[in-house]
Amino acid sequence: MGKIPKRLRRAFAISSVLFLGVLAVSPVKDLLQEWKQSRRDYVRFAETRPDTKQLLADFHPGIDQIWIPEMNVTDRCTTCHQGIHQASLLDVSVPQPFRAHTPMPHQVEKWGCVVCHRGQGLATEVREAHETTLAWEQPLLPVRYIQASCGVCHRGTLPETPQLDVGRELLVKLNCAGCHRLEGITRPAMLGPDLTSVGSKASRAWFYKWLKEPRTITDSNGNTTVDGVENEEEPRMPQFRLNEKELRALSAYLSSLRTGPAETAKLDPRVVAALERKPDTVDQGEVRFRQMFCTTCHSVAVTRAGETKLIGGEIGPELTKVGSKVNPDWLLAWLRNPQASMPHSQMPRYGWSDEDLYKVTRYILSKLTDPDLMSDVPRLEGPAQEEIQLGQRLFLEKGCASCHFVKGVSPQADFGPNLSNLGSKTLSQLEFSKAKIPRTLIAYIQAKITDPVSVNPAARMPQYQLAPRHLEALTTALLSMTGGPSSSGLAKLVVPAPKPGFHPAGAFGEVYERYKCYVCHRFNGYGGTLAPDLSYEGSRAQRSWLVAFLKNPQTLRPTLTLRMPQFNMTDAEAATLADYLAMVTQSPAVNLGSVTSKDLTPEAARLGKQLYEVKYQCRSCHTIGSSGGYVGPNLTNVGNWMNAAWIEEWLRDPQGLVPGTIEPRRTLPEQEVTALAAYLMTLRQGGAAKPAAPGAGSAR
Amino acid sequence: MATTWTQQTLNHLRRTRAWKSIFRRGPARTNRTRSLAIFGNIFLHVLPVKVREKSLRLRATYYLGSFSFFLFVVLTVTGVLLMFYYHPAVPEAYRDMKDLRFVVANGVFLRNLHRLAAQVMVAAVFWHMFHVFFRGGYKPPHEFNWVVGVGLLLVTLFLSYTGYLLPWDQLAFWAITVGTNIISYVPILGHPIRFLLLGGNIIGENALLRFYVLHCVILPLAAVILIAVHFWRIQKDGGLTVREDHERKG
Repeated sequence: MGKIPKRLRRAFAISSVLFLGVLAVSPVKDLLQEWKQSRRDYVRFAETRPDTKQLLADFHPGIDQIWIPEMNVTDRCTTCHQGIHQASLLDVSVPQPFRAHTPMPHQVEKWGCVVCHRGQGLATEVREAHETTLAWEQPLLPVRYIQASCGVCHRGTLPETPQLDVGRELLVKLNCAGCHRLEGITRPAMLGPDLTSVGSKASRAWFYKWLKEPRTITDSNGNTTVDGVENEEEPRMPQFRLNEKELRALSAYLSSLRTGPAETAKLDPRVVAALERKPDTVDQGEVRFRQMFCTTCHSVAVTRAGETKLIGGEIGPELTKVGSKVNPDWLLAWLRNPQASMPHSQMPRYGWSDEDLYKVTRYILSKLTDPDLMSDVPRLEGPAQEEIQLGQRLFLEKGCASCHFVKGVSPQADFGPNLSNLGSKTLSQLEFSKAKIPRTLIAYIQAKITDPVSVNPAARMPQYQLAPRHLEALTTALLSMTGGPSSSGLAKLVVPAPKPGFHPAGAFGEVYERYKCYVCHRFNGYGGTLAPDLSYEGSRAQRSWLVAFLKNPQTLRPTLTLRMPQFNMTDAEAATLADYLAMVTQSPAVNLGSVTSKDLTPEAARLGKQLYEVKYQCRSCHTIGSSGGYVGPNLTNVGNWMNAAWIEEWLRDPQGLVPGTIEPRRTLPEQEVTALAAYLMTLRQGGAAKPAAPGAGSAR
Repeated sequence: MATTWTQQTLNHLRRTRAWKSIFRRGPARTNRTRSLAIFGNIFLHVLPVKVREKSLRLRATYYLGSFSFFLFVVLTVTGVLLMFYYHPAVPEAYRDMKDLRFVVANGVFLRNLHRLAAQVMVAAVFWHMFHVFFRGGYKPPHEFNWVVGVGLLLVTLFLSYTGYLLPWDQLAFWAITVGTNIISYVPILGHPIRFLLLGGNIIGENALLRFYVLHCVILPLAAVILIAVHFWRIQKDGGLTVREDHERKG
């Protein structure tokens, strides 16, 4: 044993010490792991808080995790986000990662964190948990887009997800489903306008102009911006990047689309002769245009103090320069019967007199024009046959047929890629090309919408000009398309969107369809939201008032700019609508027979007047006669308008009848309810109900 | 004195019944009792009773065989520890890799040690082979031990290859894709072998399970048996092949 040389012994000793030192590195690194440091920081932080004892009672060393096997969730986020449940740590002054979560509909213990926030729940390192790393491709979802996570399960609208809902509306409005398959977004019956006979509607020059730049209004600097970003109203037609040859070919093809001779809706020649020479025909046309409230659905640019603004609704197309676009014969035929040339059009079929029709078309064709509209369009000869053929091919190649119907042209199925799982795509699945944008899914989606060529030089996708708010909403909606949550075990948690529908048949159905009531009004959850919900209109309004209102809609809220158009209904049509509404659209909460004229005594009305004027100060919001506020509807004629039983129930529980109404709920004593109803029922203009404004129904 | 104290304790221990039941023989004081002690021990009997001093010198072997064996022991120990944390199943395998990093104490060290030792072992085994080859270690009477050594080389490589799939990441997946595609080019038997190895035609859960069983059970057992034979044959074939000039100097 003693033979081992000293040198060897020393070498053995030194190497042993070195070896032990190397082995010690690992436990030391283990001690300094990020999550362990964070927990030490938390203890130190808790000691500076007034409720140290409580905070430390909920604390234990070691890893904290939320484990929900049925959802395949293992989140260790709370290891560092230790104060997530502590109500006392909600304040913004609390440094992250210790701040508590703001109140929310889902509990952290039941749902974990990554189900909504994404990121890597298993990670215990800051970068791994939050960001895209070599081994993790689903980074944290920025809070701005967090509503996308709601949309993964909730397919309907929610009060908490306004941004998501706007985004989904945009997906429908911009016809994304025309080319792409999207989860939960069905292809509407009509996407873009039917182009079967568009050649008789507008000229080749106009097609050229429109295809080149669909935004039509030019501001003082020569930029085409107004019908677009500034008022957040995007044209539904995106911009295709077409070259001169393609523009010529497509415009040639479109102008060749005619189905026989254009329908000539002849006006009575005597009417034309009488009005033709009158100097004020155009002005009268403008008056009728305004009186009929065309601007409730169509917007028109108005220049005031050098600033151009679009005024009007978003349901129909913008009309500022429509006079330079449409062929006069087409316009006449269209206004007479929109569905004849476009069966799915949402435009109501107005009852026109020949005088009105002539005046309004004259106004549109002479005032809503722009002589310079086609100034930058080159001279276009009559379309050559080869141009038309090329145009027809381009119409399919560019995907026009995905949105626009042309008789005899069948669109290519699944023209664009399926986007049903876009929201869960990983970076390695995305093609960024040379785009100078951050390498994130969100940046990719936004680049793809606003400038597709930047990420894919061969993109067929057109580009959209969207307001930042709308771009974010659209991104949110797309991020919610994660291909179904089946992979994460959430499939059974999906809350499907309700599928309402209201398609009455019979006499009412016919009138309802003719005037497209559902475009603005909502019936039992189906229809537009522009105008009041009519699900319980029969409980609210008296039949006689309904008839009068339908014949001559006067606004009940003078501050609104969008009002019900005057349809020039016949008496029979108004009666049909009023009968149906009075009979069918009843609220179970209102019993019309419960209040009789015996209850509404003059004494009660006197007390009610006092309550109205003094105790409850109703007039700060409502107007009677000429005094009062403009927040609530005008009550001058409420005695003719509403049913007493509705008023009483309304006073008891307004939100019970119309959820979300701003009318305060005051829990009035029953005696005051009756008194106020009695007073309001005495408010009648001109005694009994009758059409009020002069000129109503004069169209016939 | 310390020596007498340790000596005394040892002598005392040797007289106990437990000691006698295990070792049977008394202290190894003569050459005969020493060799009996080696022969009578299952762990030691594969080793030679007598080693010439010259074959213990560093330049005689560079201890490459012992070093490879030492790495095999390290790999076995770390491998068994890793098995505690690993499921050979598709969603779990990769997650377990990450958990080693995120939550297992010294998990990164454990995994890196296993991986590093495996890579060094492949290098060591090759160096060992070249060294023996250039020393003429394959010549009679060592031919059979050379063949066993080649078998051990193949087992080492195959252990390394099967371990490569287990992390179940992209690198693993594609490495095994390439490897098994190469196998399928073997004439006639190629495709059946590939099918047998993968438990199917694609690299999926079955392949992962088969590779796991090969890596953790079959190949280590084969290695242990071959190592035992390898060691045993060194003494049976008359010790190590040492270069003539070393022998002369010694």
